[in-house]
Amino acid sequence: MITNEFIAKIEGHGSLKVDWDNNKVKLHVHEGERLFEGILMGRTAEEAHWITPRICGVCPIAHNLASLAAVENALGIKINETAKLLRDLMKSGQMIQSHVLHLFFLALPDYIGLDRGTELVKKDKKSFAKTLALKEMADEIAYVSAGRNVHPTTTTIGGFHKIPAKKDLEKLLKKIKETEKDAEWCREFFSGLNYPELKVDLELLVQKDGKIVSNKGTSVAIEEYKQNLEEELRDYSTAKFGKFQGREIMVGALARLALKKNKNYKLNFSNPFHNNLAQAVEIFEFTKEAEGIIEKLLKMEMDATIAKSSENATLKGIGAVEAPRGGLYHEIHLDQNNFITYANIITPTVQNLTSIEKSAQALLEQFKEKSIKEKEKLLNMLVRAYDPCITCSVH
Amino acid sequence: MKPRIAIYDFTDCEGCEIKIISLREKLLLLEKKVEIVNWRLGQEKFEPGPYDIVVIEGTPITQHEIDVLKELRNNTPVLIALGACAALGGIPAIMPEKDRKYWYEKIYTSQYHPRGIDAVPLSAYVPVDFVIHGCPVDENEVVRVVEELLSGKKPSFRGYSVCFECKLAGNPCRLLENKPCLGPITQGGCRAICVSGGSPCYGCFGIREEANISALEKILGKEEIEKYLAMFHSRSKL
Repeated sequence: MITNEFIAKIEGHGSLKVDWDNNKVKLHVHEGERLFEGILMGRTAEEAHWITPRICGVCPIAHNLASLAAVENALGIKINETAKLLRDLMKSGQMIQSHVLHLFFLALPDYIGLDRGTELVKKDKKSFAKTLALKEMADEIAYVSAGRNVHPTTTTIGGFHKIPAKKDLEKLLKKIKETEKDAEWCREFFSGLNYPELKVDLELLVQKDGKIVSNKGTSVAIEEYKQNLEEELRDYSTAKFGKFQGREIMVGALARLALKKNKNYKLNFSNPFHNNLAQAVEIFEFTKEAEGIIEKLLKMEMDATIAKSSENATLKGIGAVEAPRGGLYHEIHLDQNNFITYANIITPTVQNLTSIEKSAQALLEQFKEKSIKEKEKLLNMLVRAYDPCITCSVH
Repeated sequence: MKPRIAIYDFTDCEGCEIKIISLREKLLLLEKKVEIVNWRLGQEKFEPGPYDIVVIEGTPITQHEIDVLKELRNNTPVLIALGACAALGGIPAIMPEKDRKYWYEKIYTSQYHPRGIDAVPLSAYVPVDFVIHGCPVDENEVVRVVEELLSGKKPSFRGYSVCFECKLAGNPCRLLENKPCLGPITQGGCRAICVSGGSPCYGCFGIREEANISALEKILGKEEIEKYLAMFHSRSKL
């Protein structure tokens, strides 16, 4: 008999095992190991950003950009302003794509009593139309800048194989401006939801100006990511569990807004459920950011030149990107012929897994009076609020 | 009664399911014709089988996935492989089975008890009725295949190679520019999207039945073709 033992509506296969007698909770991860660090070995530098997006179909652009940055750092390449802006545009599209998918198709059904996200059409046709408009806009940003909505085709080491024509950017800008009001609606809509009131002492972590910064005041250089982000093995998980200097941390939208000191929208930085609201706020912010980037590109002379390797390249590079779910790290080493000799990947969800368990524990303690059934529902909602990408975490 | 469909995802990136979600309005139209009774990524609702159609994304890499695959096959009239991992083994299949032990130790340490056995296509364990190729799949091809199935037809592949769609897209020929490309031997249906973006074609839409591989070998050389085929086809029989 095949049963549905996994948590539904998250990316990948995980389940919560609760010991109700002792109020202990463990997040089991069952996803099969693909061993991407091994897959990359011996392949060419140009194949890294082609292969790593396949770690995750929800945030492929983030992996593409992280691999490109790692290889370009290894080869001492500085990309030009056009390429930089286009990659920022890709990232904005990625953030909106991933957040919209998560909020409307995976998380929202919990809050308004639906099962599948598309059922919103029966309950509230107008809201559903807005959701689809946001999804369409985000996919369109990805198509124009990255060549496809899932797994980019346009990027290459040193820049882009192909840059978009200005008329396509103009069309995209028009679409974004038309959809901006929907992004604003989305933010207001998620401000109006009732989030379970959970209080957790969260340490929030982001990448900022070449550093890894915590809301508790610690900061380290990105180059020291490996020493500071330790990964532990758990016998119940195919994903490792990450910690920052030995402490549980939360990464992602809520962390980014905490470190931006965004005091709007009643964000509670001690309530992990507010990560949903933070994502909705970010949808609007990245919509505005995408507009700004395109306006800049339209004003300038776009330069399609692909930057070349430097002669004194170190052949070792780190690519750090704020992905939708938080800080992503790719480290790639090359030999003289540009073949990959070492790869290390630390994903945001690996960093969040430890915090999910900590918050789940807090939930059991703070919602003691609820029935087991209600607690189970809340625990599933909590896991979803972190928007874990189990496929990324195992890779 | 509407046909009952179950969508399963084994080990993979879930990008093909994301493509299905990006159908947006068209997904609603599809939902009018079929009933999705089991889809872990999309819904909590889980109805037990048997199902009329089972769509499987990903490679059956763990014993659990292999067992589920076999049980589904025994109880399902139509089983469809969705995307390169399920159809060909895809990117995860680049890792040879014999090297897995080494990488488990390197990535996880020797204390680790692995779950993964080997990344292979569904067809390594059970017969598959139809494959929808692509890494990721083209969402419109998914609609076409489901509609053909619903109208009682056996779905077919496009009767042309990627080159045909590449010409339609107005791309200059990569081979004429001395750039490697598997387009001439690859099934169409992708709208030549990778070449349009400036990337090579790695043949993720599957090799055409009547493909003239030896002609392409004359242009690219055997070694170069094998290198490019190794991206998605390391375990598929040509």
